[in-house]
Amino acid sequence: MRDAYVLGAGQSSFGSFPEETYLTLFDDAFDAAMDSVGVSIDPEQIDEAFLGTLGVGGRQIGLSGPAVTEHLGLHGVPTTRVENACAASGYAFRQAVTAVRSGLVDVALAGGYEVMTDASSDHTRWWLGVSGETEWERTSGTTFAGVYAQMASAYMDEYDATVEDLSRVAVKNHGNGARNPKAHLGFECSLEDAVSAPSVADPLNLYHCCPTTDGASAVLVASEDVAREHADELIRVAGSGASSGRVGLFQRESLTSVPATVRAGEDAYEGAGIDPSDLDFAEVHDCFAIAELLAYEDLGFCDRGEAGRLLREGVTDPDGDLPTNTSGGLKSKGHPIGATGTGQIVEAFDQLRGEAHVQVDDPQYGLTHNVGGSGGGVTVHIFEREDGGGVA
Amino acid sequence: MRGIVAAGVYVPRFRLEADEIETAWGTSHAAGVDRKAVPAADEDSLTIAVEAVRRALADAALDRSTIGTVAVATTTPPLEEGDFVPRLVRALDLPADVATTTATQHTAAGAEVLARALDANGPAIVVTADCPEGEPADADHPFGAAGAAVVIDDDAPVPIADVAWYSDETPGIRFRERGDRNVDSLGITTYERDAVREAVTSAVSSLAVDTVDAAGVAVHQRDGGFPYRITSELPFSSDAVAAGTVADRIGDAGAATVPVGLLSALDGAGSNDLTVAGFFGGGSAAAIACEGSLTARGIDDLESAAPIDYAAYLRERGYIVDGEVAGGGANVSVPNWQRSLEYRYRLVAGACPNCGGVTFPPEGACQECHARVEYDEFEAPRTGMIRAVTVIGQGGAPPEFASLQQRDGGYAVAIVALETGCGTVTIPAQLTDVDPESVSVGDTVEATVRRIYEQEGVPRYGVKFRPSE
Repeated sequence: MRDAYVLGAGQSSFGSFPEETYLTLFDDAFDAAMDSVGVSIDPEQIDEAFLGTLGVGGRQIGLSGPAVTEHLGLHGVPTTRVENACAASGYAFRQAVTAVRSGLVDVALAGGYEVMTDASSDHTRWWLGVSGETEWERTSGTTFAGVYAQMASAYMDEYDATVEDLSRVAVKNHGNGARNPKAHLGFECSLEDAVSAPSVADPLNLYHCCPTTDGASAVLVASEDVAREHADELIRVAGSGASSGRVGLFQRESLTSVPATVRAGEDAYEGAGIDPSDLDFAEVHDCFAIAELLAYEDLGFCDRGEAGRLLREGVTDPDGDLPTNTSGGLKSKGHPIGATGTGQIVEAFDQLRGEAHVQVDDPQYGLTHNVGGSGGGVTVHIFEREDGGGVA
Repeated sequence: MRGIVAAGVYVPRFRLEADEIETAWGTSHAAGVDRKAVPAADEDSLTIAVEAVRRALADAALDRSTIGTVAVATTTPPLEEGDFVPRLVRALDLPADVATTTATQHTAAGAEVLARALDANGPAIVVTADCPEGEPADADHPFGAAGAAVVIDDDAPVPIADVAWYSDETPGIRFRERGDRNVDSLGITTYERDAVREAVTSAVSSLAVDTVDAAGVAVHQRDGGFPYRITSELPFSSDAVAAGTVADRIGDAGAATVPVGLLSALDGAGSNDLTVAGFFGGGSAAAIACEGSLTARGIDDLESAAPIDYAAYLRERGYIVDGEVAGGGANVSVPNWQRSLEYRYRLVAGACPNCGGVTFPPEGACQECHARVEYDEFEAPRTGMIRAVTVIGQGGAPPEFASLQQRDGGYAVAIVALETGCGTVTIPAQLTDVDPESVSVGDTVEATVRRIYEQEGVPRYGVKFRPSE
């Protein structure tokens, strides 16, 4: 099986843009991705596209993928719309990688888009939480924040974690996002702000929850031959892991772990032939603060119950041993559901090329972790900057 | 002789003090009502009936499969036309071949269903459950809520010696116009009181039993003083009337008031005491006489004292709530809901024949070994422990729950672990009858059937959990 490379990656600004559509937002992301390619590539070289979206608002439930590629002028390119909730474009990227690795295509477009802020509050309420388990979880009256809050309650009970531990995720990620001009909530917050914010779903408060966001992101995946012709740095997809889990939290073996993350992570590490200690940075799925803590443990950054310590000791700060969510994460950069997975890969691409807004010192390995719902579908990807390749 | 073999009472926990009504309106039209019971936003006559029957059956040495009749009386069925007894049958796993009766339309409906059960053969369940509403400015003032259930069978410890009736046209006393949720009366004080007195006196006097020495008397009680006034021509002591009067503590619970009063009197009666009940409603009066005493499970609910203020009362009862949220998104269809009723009401789970693990609901691959199996179904225990919990604050609920939240405020949602012989059943469920902020991981809770939400005009019921008694 041949390797797949990230040839280019870009995103629209993430934020609230009610005047935009999913088509116009994806235009921005696609243009940014094309502009990031070292030696420009003709759009006609794109063989196939995989685009992720949940479709919040119901605007174009059927065939939004082909609508996007036709809008872009990628006329006739086979396009598959991928739906795996918040992991939609993590999975779309995996499809693109698989297509390239298989030899079927040389250049694949992966991406995602979501518009979430243009509907009335009543209409919006119907669309939030649609990725929770519907028959039991939703009909118990839970929201999406509520399910993660339940995890937080169980985690805090099991490990004596504190609201400060949760709040440090917000402080760190806002600190990073404040330096990212494409972030939705690009401002800093203090620990005091984050601890004392109004409750959303106890024990989670406003600063423990990501915003609803409009945005799009796009990644070009290519074969080694194409990458050597067009990329100024060779960014290899070293590992791709994915796993499914029970959609309902109550159906899982653990409330303080996301088993699908553990499985996807193990596959990605094995594929890349590295350990968590080899990573230079990570983008993890911090839709809610507790999710980042669980990700640290599920991805092997630390032992069970140790995530709070990692945050307290600054291990995942930009100057720590494993800087995490340097983009601002979902918390600060924003969470346009379908755009999040490939949005994380935009940050990994920028980091490995030395062009990130919060740049890690000379990284070689980076990881992205994308979770659908509360853990029903997860992708983990590991990227490696190969020395000596590329046209630069 | 046929009579009462077991009894259960359920009264919602909230109480509105008379002072609250006086403060809100500058007056109270609920004489002799010190406080009244207020159903929570997720309660209605069906959930009240389910709870009352569950309690009655808990004390009945009875094979449920032998129950031949289920008879319900309520003036406030959740749907003016639609399922009531069948929901009760499903929620309590009663036989599908029971004969069903629903009496409604007047507050003496309880006597009608009781008579039906006395005429039937074999064990019969009779339940009255009611939560009347009225114009908040006046008619509503005395209205409370309650449920009373009895099992009627032969060779009863409390035989019902006689039933007597009286009927006369006396319009305007208590009525509800078609399509209206508010009970009204014309308020012609003397006319109304005299008419009720005459009807009840005539019915009681027609009993074949001499009632002079009755130790307990439960008669129509539109407020706390009314029973004494309408028995002035009967030979009852005021102590006897007091023994059967509950409106002072729960208000006028429509068709359920006299049955709850009767069970209250029987609960405190001696083994040879005579207890009389006198129903009135819609021009009909009925009297029954029974002998003996009987414990009514849940009778302590009469003394509940969970206070509620007037603003919360108006919200909780839905007097000032809109609740409709337009739009569309996640949806559970009515047929899908219907096929899951035994899981939602009775917590039926599945044991895996392959690995022994448990799965809830018992559908799809085993949660433990992931094999596709035919589960051995069993009912999980109704008491369990909270493993995870959150609070969905006011305004934050999914739209199906917007109305509930406007009425009842924020609520807690938990993952509850039910320990069974073959493993732990975990179920996500809303908590009710509790301050959501007071709930923690590790708390013990018990299942109860409540109204979950209403969609497209159809109320949906299922399990919620409340603090364990």
